[in-house]
Amino acid sequence: MIVSFNYRNRHSLLERLDPRARWIFSLLVLFAITMFWDVRFLLFFLALTLGQYYLARLTWRETRRAWYFVFFIMTTMVVVNTIITSSGTIGAAMKGTHTVIFHQFTIPITGWIWELNLTVERLWFAVTQVTRILSISALFLVIPFTMDPRQYGATFRGMGLPDRLAYTLDLAFRFVPTLGRDFQLTLDAQRARGYEVEKVEGGLFTQIRKMAPLVVPVTMNAILSGEDYANAMDLRCFGLRKRTWIEKLTYHWRDYLWIGFGALLLIASVVLSLLGYGEFWVPSILLQ
Amino acid sequence: MNSPSEARLEIEGLTFCYHSRQEPAIQDISFDLQPGEVMLLAGASGCGKTTLMRCINGLIPKIYRGSLEGQIRVYGRPVSEMSMAELSQSVGTLLQDPERQIVGSYVLNEVAFGLENLGLPRGEIMERVERTLDYLGIAHLRDREVFNISGGEKQKIALAGILVMEPRILLLDEPLASLDPASSSGALQLFRRLADDGISVLLVEHRVDEVLAIQPERVLYLEDGKAVYLGDPQGMLDVVDYRRVKLPARTVVRRARNAEPPPEFQPALPPPTQQPLIDFQKVGFRYRPELPETLRGVNLQVHPGDVIAVLGANGAGKTTLVKHALGLLKPTRGQVLLEGQDTRKLTVAQAAHTIGYVFQSPTQMLYAPTVEEELAFGPRNLAHPPEQIRADVSWAIRTVHLEPELKTPPLALSFGQQKRVSIAAVLAMRSRILMMDEPTAGQDYWNYRSFMDTILQMPGFEAILFITHDVDLAVIYANRILLIYNGQVAADGSPHAVLRDEEKLRACRVLPTSLLELNLELYPQTGRFLRAEALAQYVA
Repeated sequence: MIVSFNYRNRHSLLERLDPRARWIFSLLVLFAITMFWDVRFLLFFLALTLGQYYLARLTWRETRRAWYFVFFIMTTMVVVNTIITSSGTIGAAMKGTHTVIFHQFTIPITGWIWELNLTVERLWFAVTQVTRILSISALFLVIPFTMDPRQYGATFRGMGLPDRLAYTLDLAFRFVPTLGRDFQLTLDAQRARGYEVEKVEGGLFTQIRKMAPLVVPVTMNAILSGEDYANAMDLRCFGLRKRTWIEKLTYHWRDYLWIGFGALLLIASVVLSLLGYGEFWVPSILLQ
Repeated sequence: MNSPSEARLEIEGLTFCYHSRQEPAIQDISFDLQPGEVMLLAGASGCGKTTLMRCINGLIPKIYRGSLEGQIRVYGRPVSEMSMAELSQSVGTLLQDPERQIVGSYVLNEVAFGLENLGLPRGEIMERVERTLDYLGIAHLRDREVFNISGGEKQKIALAGILVMEPRILLLDEPLASLDPASSSGALQLFRRLADDGISVLLVEHRVDEVLAIQPERVLYLEDGKAVYLGDPQGMLDVVDYRRVKLPARTVVRRARNAEPPPEFQPALPPPTQQPLIDFQKVGFRYRPELPETLRGVNLQVHPGDVIAVLGANGAGKTTLVKHALGLLKPTRGQVLLEGQDTRKLTVAQAAHTIGYVFQSPTQMLYAPTVEEELAFGPRNLAHPPEQIRADVSWAIRTVHLEPELKTPPLALSFGQQKRVSIAAVLAMRSRILMMDEPTAGQDYWNYRSFMDTILQMPGFEAILFITHDVDLAVIYANRILLIYNGQVAADGSPHAVLRDEEKLRACRVLPTSLLELNLELYPQTGRFLRAEALAQYVA
């Protein structure tokens, strides 16, 4: 069974907008955010996207699992790419000279030497990165919770994608909660056989191998049910000719306003960055 | 139609062999299908039923490749000359599992899907969808989310999505498999009505006993890909092996009278004691705070010596109830005690030492590279000694008759075999309490009776509990029946006490079967419920 995200109409301002306008706005703001590495600008965007989140009438309770996932990915990224190594940073942060911690490790057996040179610049870069990721997450997280699943396909079609791709994206979108549900079922089935995921230990590869009882059934189930769905869709003439979409979407003035607002933000961001604003910035007080 | 004959569908000398296999899946099949006719296609799993359907609806050769011989004509035209769009407007197929063919998120969108794909105008689509929903009596579901409706309703939705394309031939692949007795009876009545309204229905089903109630015009019986019988239902009852296919109880009794009596069935459970193994105390449970309670004040004790059949409608709360015993779900009010310990204080792994639980779907748990390793997984987690694991694995595999597959990857087996592997995987844990969720789903009659016999006659279990929609399974094996309705225990008692109350059964969407009726009739002589073969000696 394909499960949809847990959608209920909250009668929020955001839901009254055309879903296409919301996608376009989100994409415009996304591009705008990527122009900046200056935390002062990014804080503006964070406030903006959290505002949208508030307008959507979402509560922490409903979205916390999605947020945990974001936090997990974000922490891994920031710790590995910025704190431990500097591969995820940009020029200015890499060249930082204000050292906070300096430590040299010798990696056992290989004898390689690895230097941890944690600078103020890198730490501040981590802060900037967190702000950026949180703004982008808040921007897109509202979509699955506040968009009617009936309209996914028609929305993608309305944004100019071909029929087949639009419907496939619709299915792909709903695949996420379906996978979550399947994972829970498999976890329960294996726990009933005495399997304890909490006790999986050992080296990285051993750990991965010990996850097989969860990963294999979930993956196989997805593949096998995919075959059934494909058959069912073929038997109902999917993809043979130009499709009708019974979900009708119509733009209203407020949708144009919303897209216009997004476009304005992007244009302003482009102009600012051409003028040289928005580069990586560290408060001077930290560099003394 | 300018076809020379009246037949909607004609099949002549059809043989098909999948590319990956040596043996043909079906061989030299010939029959035709008339307007307004219900034809029952019966046979054990692996007999070629699904392959035959795929040949008719065009999935063979479009999706599944192999060598195809013989002729299939729809309205006199060979299907090989028809496009998928043409074919699917003549031949509609309801696949086995409604859950795996519903692609829309809401009822309206799901039913409209095929017509949208044909690119019809929006107004016409809406009009045809409304008409189909009305015809099936499910107009009230129009704006519901498909995820939140019952199993029987899901199937009607899937059927609506096909009927809306106005096919004149309808293929139904084991449509009763996941339905409770009342829903499956309702579905069968509906299929009859469709035929009476002029559609030709080819119904694949191994629950022959139930299908006979709607008086199919003809029966085609397959064994190993070959047609063994084609003719009226009455004739089939004399030809088909009653140990392989479930026939009406009276037919079995009549035929078994001259045969060897079945071996005495002696369950090997300990004598009843008063100390409960599992104790539900006023258990209430809801999945989410905003939802209504799925369990509502359940009081229930499982004692040593119990063989409990849990009956009830789709969505009544049977699986939710059983998951509480193992602590997979914790009650939101009241408590569940497993051998005196609150399940809130136990981990599932600890509870698994006492309770073995076979989930409904095997695909959710099979992962190992061989069946042998799959079976050893549970006992290893429970830290059983290696010699004991070897012995238990070998016993478990014999119980489900899969010894030759010990080195096969479980995922390469058929669904029925996978289900048996999943049962064996739990048997090998040698739990003292065994719980099974729909153990017979997708299984052959002969196979499931055989493993149920073995499990119940095997010493070591203190109590057994199974959830089932198959009332006969409860009649034959249980010594206690639990009837669940709307999250509550509607009845709890001996099979005779619970199952003779037909009114209550019907209220709980459970229907009496021919075997139950015969058993109730003969109860004064037998004093207990027996399988049909064993009843033969009591019938004059």
